[in-house]
Amino acid sequence: MKNKLFGLLSIVVCTLVLLSACGPAATSTPVVVVPTVVPSTAVPPTEVPTPTPPCLIIGATYGGSITDAGYNQAMHEAVMAIKTSIDCVEIIYAEGVPDEAGATTTMENMISQGATLIFATGNNHQYPALALSQTHPDVIFEHAGGWEMGANFANFFGNPPDGWYLMGVAAGKMTTSNKIGFVANSPFAWSLVFLNAFELGVQSVNPDAKTYVTYTQAWGDSAKEAEATNALINQGCDVITMHVDSPITVVGTAESRGVYSIGFQNLAAQQFAPEYWISGTGYTLGGKLTWLASTVIDGTWTPIFLRCGMSDGCMAMAPFGKRVPQNVQDLVMQKKAEVEAGTLVVFTGPIVDQDGTVRVPAGEVLTADNMSYVDWLVQGVVGSPK
Amino acid sequence: MSKIAEVITRFPVFRKKALQTVVHYLLMILFAFLMFGLILFIAGKDPLQSYKDIFTSTLGSAYGFSEVIVAMIPMLITALAVALPFRVGLINIGGEGQLYIGAAFATFGALTFPNLPAWLLLPLMALLGMVGGALWAFIPGYLKSIGLVNETITSLLLNSVAPKIIGFLILGFWHAPRDTIRTPNFGTSALLPTFFGTRIHLGLVFGLGLLIVFWLVMKYTRWGLEMRAIGSNPQAAKRNGIPLSRYLVIIMCAGGAIAGLAGMVQVSGFYGTLFLNFSISLGFMGFMICWLAGGDPLGIVLMAFVVSVIYSGGNLLQLTRDLPFAVINILLAFTLFIVLARPAFFKGRKS
Amino acid sequence: MTLLSILGVLSSAIFSGTSLLFTTLGEVIDERAGIVNLGLEGVLLVSASSGFAVTYLSGNPYLGILVSILAGGLMNMILGYLVITRKANQLASGLALMFFGFGLSALIGKPFVGEKIHSLTRYVLPGTAGLPLLYTSLFKFDILIYLVIPAAILVWWLLYRTRWGLGVRAVGENADTAFASGRNPHLIRYQALFAGGMLVGLGAAHLTIAFTMNWTEYMTAGRGFIAVALVIFSKWHPLRAIAGALVFSGAVAFQLLLQSSGVQVSPFLLDTLPYILTLVVLIAWGGNRKHSAPGSLGRVYQGSE
Repeated sequence: MKNKLFGLLSIVVCTLVLLSACGPAATSTPVVVVPTVVPSTAVPPTEVPTPTPPCLIIGATYGGSITDAGYNQAMHEAVMAIKTSIDCVEIIYAEGVPDEAGATTTMENMISQGATLIFATGNNHQYPALALSQTHPDVIFEHAGGWEMGANFANFFGNPPDGWYLMGVAAGKMTTSNKIGFVANSPFAWSLVFLNAFELGVQSVNPDAKTYVTYTQAWGDSAKEAEATNALINQGCDVITMHVDSPITVVGTAESRGVYSIGFQNLAAQQFAPEYWISGTGYTLGGKLTWLASTVIDGTWTPIFLRCGMSDGCMAMAPFGKRVPQNVQDLVMQKKAEVEAGTLVVFTGPIVDQDGTVRVPAGEVLTADNMSYVDWLVQGVVGSPK
Repeated sequence: MSKIAEVITRFPVFRKKALQTVVHYLLMILFAFLMFGLILFIAGKDPLQSYKDIFTSTLGSAYGFSEVIVAMIPMLITALAVALPFRVGLINIGGEGQLYIGAAFATFGALTFPNLPAWLLLPLMALLGMVGGALWAFIPGYLKSIGLVNETITSLLLNSVAPKIIGFLILGFWHAPRDTIRTPNFGTSALLPTFFGTRIHLGLVFGLGLLIVFWLVMKYTRWGLEMRAIGSNPQAAKRNGIPLSRYLVIIMCAGGAIAGLAGMVQVSGFYGTLFLNFSISLGFMGFMICWLAGGDPLGIVLMAFVVSVIYSGGNLLQLTRDLPFAVINILLAFTLFIVLARPAFFKGRKS
Repeated sequence: MTLLSILGVLSSAIFSGTSLLFTTLGEVIDERAGIVNLGLEGVLLVSASSGFAVTYLSGNPYLGILVSILAGGLMNMILGYLVITRKANQLASGLALMFFGFGLSALIGKPFVGEKIHSLTRYVLPGTAGLPLLYTSLFKFDILIYLVIPAAILVWWLLYRTRWGLGVRAVGENADTAFASGRNPHLIRYQALFAGGMLVGLGAAHLTIAFTMNWTEYMTAGRGFIAVALVIFSKWHPLRAIAGALVFSGAVAFQLLLQSSGVQVSPFLLDTLPYILTLVVLIAWGGNRKHSAPGSLGRVYQGSE
């Protein structure tokens, strides 16, 4: 008897559930009902008061978690900053979006929810976003750190190499073993560029110091990051830094071993190394993204290859840790002023790679749009660029 | 439940065993959905609205439905890659790795011969994919046949090795000029054609076609009978003169070849490029689907469909319910648990 | 290859191998009772996320470790229910448990991503206090690391020197015979799963609370499967499992050393070293592992109802 009832109930619920598929998806703004005007009597039409629709629905995709104290958190903070400045926007976001597989579906879902501006912040979200930009010409796509451009597709990024150079200066001064460790995901262009900028900074104050790099092959494999950090420290590195999504594990592990650390991605990393923190750089793109959103709202958006640095407020430097001597702090701030003034350009030639080949000849500069072609490491970095 | 079944089977149309199976599966899946709804409720999310989201985004629109089919395609093939060796008693848990290596071989074809016309290049890539997968399955198969190592362990270890080899190949040799973690986009002749403006590609034909062929071979040919005989009684088969170890290796390689084809289908039909870690547990999903379906081709299609609906539907869920996408795995797991646990009121289902 | 580098590899191996060893020990007990757990990934993840959550909320890592242990045992009970009571296929049930673990751990862990916890204190290895700082910093271990070898010995003692262990091994060899000699295979298997699950939970606790001090989705990255491989590698013997865990973690540490010493070999290829090494050792020193496996491993015990 019980079984029969259950069976009947199952069939009923099953049918109901399937029927629900015919209904519309999640909430959208209610429709205004205006009854037709009766011509004989001049009765004004009654309208149902509606909530104001958002002036812009923004979709944001992140490759990892928004509380990672790293890249994804920085991107999320920047996107949410739009809402604090422009109150009428609505933001839909998705974390942990896998590189290409889920990115398309997620963005399609966002578009079906009404998004007309999409920030694709994951490195590998570029091509799915580009493909979607071609099938959805009325939606604007902004990708972080890419290089493709289209009628409704553009990209934006901070300018980390400048910050990395300054961090290199600090590291070069703080190391006593002349061995600095760098934990990276994989030897792809941005990581190599950061490594190069970093080592150039190191060498500018300490020509004997070398940077040792190990790869974890993942954006957020914390066990691997801990292993890599320990391995570098065991080799004698006394300053550790990284290019992975979240600095937490690397910085935390260095701290637990009593070794200096330098953060990246987000200034929030500092809390994980109260003792041995040197400094760090992070993305603070809120202002720029707000500006981009405002151009979309008032219809003046055009595709731009947007790069902005510390002087524009897009990148910030973390406060110095308690063990950094004043003369080091002063030196770094002095170099920072030179970078912002334009008298110090990080990638000025001649730049020589590990094999001795001149990659940037004397008198020339490695420009931002060429950074994505970098597949080499400067002399002084120990490790494989492939 | 048996009463319901009795009533239903009074109608002649419902006598068909296939339909009975479908109904039984649907009811089990429903039970799993109920349990997941409970979890959602405990987590403070609205279960009814969540299910509405899942179903509207997958079954409620033509586009959503097409996306479900697209997600199904590789799983049909990886499930078959497990089903074939299963017939002779082999467990092929190496699908993950075979998929990757097959994709790598296919990519080699796409990048080395970009100027061949599609009708030459695509079969070549398919062949390469199968060779790659077969190679990766040969290692555990061979080691088992000479009695050295259990094929499960070798396969599991090789699963972890395969994606790293892909990384080596991409970053070392194949990467696009600006994007070092993927290959350049394949030329149009290397892409499987798509249908009706959706992302459904020719891989669907491969998948369904292979399943039909598998069903026909198993049911009607001498090989099929032979394989089932070997699977149920290997010792007797050996005494009858069948070179057992060679046979097993060949079947294992055939399974690997099929998984390798799934890899080719993904890079050629779905992504159009090769990049790191492109498989989202496709090999393991195939294993689960095959096992749940009991190796039966119709069951494979059905379970692959259900799994795809769950995964595709889960995507909208993370936007509207603020749940991490990974949570949809709980629904999947409940579905699996229910089928595995075979609750008493579903007794009578063929095993 | 300086002495410091070699000691460094050893130190790294011990650090990262501890959680692997605990997990392997847990799986040894389970497989000795005849059950393969392919869902170790899921068990590890759920234990890790719960342990991390409790550590953060309570501020007490020991409480977190306890919760982790409990969570491991409970997750294994799900496998037990499916495999023992419902007589389902072990491999499929294990994988289902893995997917369950993916989802449940993400749900539990979400609020705690990016949080900082109080980790375990580290103590310098007794006897090394006199050495220069460079060396002592290599051997500063937390209490779980010190306990892992005694744990292995405990497992050995449990399996080979107690009546219960005898029962476990008997059931693992042939459940029908064990039943005939008066044992309850179902009960013993449940107990073995719970005990094994507790050890796996301990491994997860070390990974998240003491080693990475962090929680992220999918953070175990395949360790569950490696543990299954290492159980076979060590011929289902807890003391040999120590060697297995050391070999694997040592290989990982060694390839990291190679990477950063300027060897111009792709880091991806270097990363395959631990797996290839495990496989090679399996083949070379295998002898015939088929004979060392518990007789009824993987098979469903029909029992007499």
